[in-house]
Amino acid sequence: MLLSLSWLCEFTPYEGNAEALGDRLTMLGLELENILRPYAAISAIVVGEVTACVKHPESDHLHLCKVNAGQEYLLDIVCGAPNVAAGQKVPVALVGTRLPDGTVIRKAKLRGAPSFGMICSERELGMTEDHSGIMVLPEDALPGARLVDTLDLDTEVLDISITPNRSDCLSVLGLARETANAFHLPVTIQELPVTEDKTRPEALVPIDIENADLCRLYSGRVIADIRAAPSPPRVRRRLHAMGVRPISNIVDVTNYILLECGQPLHAFDLDKLRGGRIAVRTAQNNEKFTTLDGQERALTNRDLCICDAERIVGLAGVMGGLNTEITQTSRNVFLESAVFKPESIRKTSRRLGLSSEASCRFERGIDQRRTVWALDRACAMMAAFGGGVVRRGLSRAEPKPFAPVAVAFRPEKADALLGVTLNREFCEATLTRLGCVVNKGSVWRVTQPSWRPDLTREADLIEEVGRMHGLDAIPPVLPPMCKSLDRAGQSRSDYFFLSRVKHWGAGLGLNEAVNYSFVGHKDLDHLGLPRQGRISIVNPLSAEQDVLRTSLAPGLLQSLRNNLAQGAQGLRLFELAHIFEEHADADVAPAQGQLPTAARETGMLGILLYGARYDVAWPHAEEDMDYADIKGIAEHLLNFLHLPAPGWETVNNHPWLLPCVEMRLAGRTVGCMGRVKSALADAFHARKGVWLAEFNLDALCAMHDMACVRFTPLPVYPPVRRDITVIAGPTLRVSHVLDHMAKLALPLLAEALLADVFEPQEGAERHLTFRLTFRHPSRTLKDAEVDKEREKVAQSLVEALGVRV
Amino acid sequence: MDLVTALENLLVELEAGLQKAFSPEDMEALRVDVLGRKGRLAQIMSRLPSLAPADRPAVGQAANSVKERCNALFKARRRALLLQSEAVALQRFDPSLPGRAPWRGSLHPTTLVTEEVCGIFTEMGFEVASGPEVENDYYNFEALNMPPDHPARDMQDTLYISDKVLLRTHTSPVQVRSMLTRTPPLAVIVPGKVYRRDSDLTHTPMFHQIEGLMVGESVTMAHLRGTLTAFVRGVFGAGTEVRFRPSFFPFTEPSAEVDISCCMCGGRGDHKDEPCRVCKGTGWVEILGCGMIDPEVFAAVKYSDAVSGFAFGLGVERVAMLKYGIGDLRMFFENDARFLRQFA
Repeated sequence: MLLSLSWLCEFTPYEGNAEALGDRLTMLGLELENILRPYAAISAIVVGEVTACVKHPESDHLHLCKVNAGQEYLLDIVCGAPNVAAGQKVPVALVGTRLPDGTVIRKAKLRGAPSFGMICSERELGMTEDHSGIMVLPEDALPGARLVDTLDLDTEVLDISITPNRSDCLSVLGLARETANAFHLPVTIQELPVTEDKTRPEALVPIDIENADLCRLYSGRVIADIRAAPSPPRVRRRLHAMGVRPISNIVDVTNYILLECGQPLHAFDLDKLRGGRIAVRTAQNNEKFTTLDGQERALTNRDLCICDAERIVGLAGVMGGLNTEITQTSRNVFLESAVFKPESIRKTSRRLGLSSEASCRFERGIDQRRTVWALDRACAMMAAFGGGVVRRGLSRAEPKPFAPVAVAFRPEKADALLGVTLNREFCEATLTRLGCVVNKGSVWRVTQPSWRPDLTREADLIEEVGRMHGLDAIPPVLPPMCKSLDRAGQSRSDYFFLSRVKHWGAGLGLNEAVNYSFVGHKDLDHLGLPRQGRISIVNPLSAEQDVLRTSLAPGLLQSLRNNLAQGAQGLRLFELAHIFEEHADADVAPAQGQLPTAARETGMLGILLYGARYDVAWPHAEEDMDYADIKGIAEHLLNFLHLPAPGWETVNNHPWLLPCVEMRLAGRTVGCMGRVKSALADAFHARKGVWLAEFNLDALCAMHDMACVRFTPLPVYPPVRRDITVIAGPTLRVSHVLDHMAKLALPLLAEALLADVFEPQEGAERHLTFRLTFRHPSRTLKDAEVDKEREKVAQSLVEALGVRV
Repeated sequence: MDLVTALENLLVELEAGLQKAFSPEDMEALRVDVLGRKGRLAQIMSRLPSLAPADRPAVGQAANSVKERCNALFKARRRALLLQSEAVALQRFDPSLPGRAPWRGSLHPTTLVTEEVCGIFTEMGFEVASGPEVENDYYNFEALNMPPDHPARDMQDTLYISDKVLLRTHTSPVQVRSMLTRTPPLAVIVPGKVYRRDSDLTHTPMFHQIEGLMVGESVTMAHLRGTLTAFVRGVFGAGTEVRFRPSFFPFTEPSAEVDISCCMCGGRGDHKDEPCRVCKGTGWVEILGCGMIDPEVFAAVKYSDAVSGFAFGLGVERVAMLKYGIGDLRMFFENDARFLRQFA
């Protein structure tokens, strides 16, 4: 909401500056966004009096003028305007002044005549488009005075953001009330009584309201003998300063009243209003209507309409119709001032995407006791501006007069909520100043003013006394601990588990990434992820963000692309986030009757490895990361979470990983990892292997909660180690050997590890060296018996797996 | 030459030989030559039987002594050589060579801020809670006193999944879920992702919020001010000033926006005579919204009107930008490793 300081001062005698007002209003909840100075560019222009004006002897259009600009001597100014004449008061740009278009006025010689300044047109001052001649000022203008002061221009305009509850502050009047309150000033309204044309009969328009809930009040007046003309300069300049384009003495007044009083008005061409009557009703489904902007719109039975005897002529509170628009040839106007149901107006405005200054005020609530007053004020202004003659009679239907709400107010409740002790006189004075009627008793009855539809509950009144007392003046106090013993020992939020995993990842040397939860369907398609079960966004910002991710992979790959574009050589990212899948039963058995969302969210951990294993070369070898890196991280994670070694299962038909290995724990898949198929990785400009792992953190968290750490006593007797080298073809897996050794269940074999892999150049065989640790729980082993055990293992491997040792 | 003289000569020769021995190989060759099984000491001793039995003990004693002194000479030489090689190695030692650097990991700045904030509040006795990101309209809006067609819904542009399901626009629905499943007194803090249909220089469609809620029998706005003052000073330093400006949220009344004294210019509003860019010269920076829980919200969760409470919500990225001096919001979600690694 824009608030001109000089307009404000027409209602309350505020004498401070714009900054001080902005600061005070901000602390009252009306936040100052900015201070605009629409006429800053012409603040240096002064008033000059043309004392003499003769034709330039060397030119057919130039004039030589003597101008008194309040200085000790008269200025010589050459002027080319046709309308310049001696005796005029005019705006003068002195030498050195910069005009709004950037021109700087300098001493000049025009056809031999010296000129020390410029007399300006309205266009040159950026005020209107008028360039037919120089601007002529009122005769009482004082030479040398600033033009902006002489014309009383709106030089300072506060841009104030108004919260949705304060419909009253969407007007100069409302903000004047707040200002008056803040600075203890009176509010005075210069009344403009309407003068009706007594010579002609009453001109009434019958009004029929179908539903009193949707339209509590509808009023209007007829203005006849319209003479469309520009509004007085003062009104035009003020609207201009408020960012509203001046149009004519009819339209300008409706805008002026809207800004001044917050009451939207609408002018119909009365001669086009068929049957000369108004009906307020809802539209039929699919009824067509063309609004003022020329768009035909299909309406529904929830849209409130203004109709004449035959058809729709306006969308109530939102926009008028083309069929009754005021034009150059209009002779008679019916001016509407009404109150519509906020929710109804909002629905229509939202559905049609039509938001206007009017709809925004109707949506938030109108001061019903000012509706007819604003209509009369507008009519008085229109008549005063020569726009027409106000016909006798007020057309009015008010099926639901304003009934103020009276609220119980307990000052002690206010004290208890705010944590202060408020003086009772202060409370009463504050509420009274706000326009409430206060009836004191053991419980106070406080009646709201008509312009404050938001004051209907005790909490609203407590907020008002708190606001005027100053929320900033409440002393800060730490609360006592606010906990219930019932919660002790209950399971904690998964926040702590997730936090541990994050610190694990960072401690391991991975960089935590955060990607958007939404991606494009095409990103999921690219990875071949199933279409079924995806959750789409109905109103996405773009096609790149139209579905919730079902995997962390697209986001991590996108991050990889971003980093490669910056020349990254290697990347190790991890991300903890939810994935989303459609799930009809997700909340079918909701705890405490919770409402469903049809979505299942699963906490996931994603890890991406790419390129160089180390960030700095020396003393590391320059190598790229591979399967062993991602698997090592996976094993490290499970160990960190006290979980046993999982089963590793190769998956052959994974949509975007090849190879792909799944991790299985306690019969369920808890994650998968592998290399992103190179054809897919190519789209992210990856030239090397992209290793990606995804873990189901919810599953791991549940298992982690069950896992308990049990201490195993340390062995007392020393271990004895023996190596076995197994020679076999490439299809023999390390796991085959280890699993077999585990199956032997030899009591003395404590541990078996892969110690070395050797692949000779010729031949397809691999040499796998395993290091076996033998130990007896209660004595030291002898070499001979260890050799015997090793031989047992070796023989068994040869027999069972057909390998050489 | 008698044997004792031969033995004494052996020591002299060994001393000379050791002076020329520099490598472990030299040393070993010398050891075999002198002390080996067929070495010179052994050769001398092999002549022992030729002596008169009466002379034998003296020669034997001399031989033992020589052997010990030989060993001592070897040991001394070895130590000298070791010291020498260590000295050489020390000369070549370059302390400026880079370390064998392990991987350097980092936490996202939103994680760092979230953990710091949650840490401060859990110290004060708040419990951490969480809730779904895909949310029912009821918890996100209706139960928070924002019925359909309420103008306050314009304050948050919403991404919808269906008519009744949406991406939560704030962490406040967890207020409702927490109150529905617990009885007062309670104090919870809710970190999480939230979503708005908004994307420009200063808005991203996803960001992080932290919601706080305290309900009890006599929770006041003074408590809210105390709690937030403690929080703000914990994050931004003991000297930070806090300012409460009245505002409007449908689910709190009274509502306030909280400003802190600008951490860039120290609340002065200017920086070397230029208006401060962070606070735009006002000396104050908006940091969060808060208020006393609206009676309508208590009604929605069927709490008695004998309880009161406060709630607040803050933007994590906003705090991170102020705390770390990050100028561009979009950097948070581009995951440029050069950005991420700055937050180890």
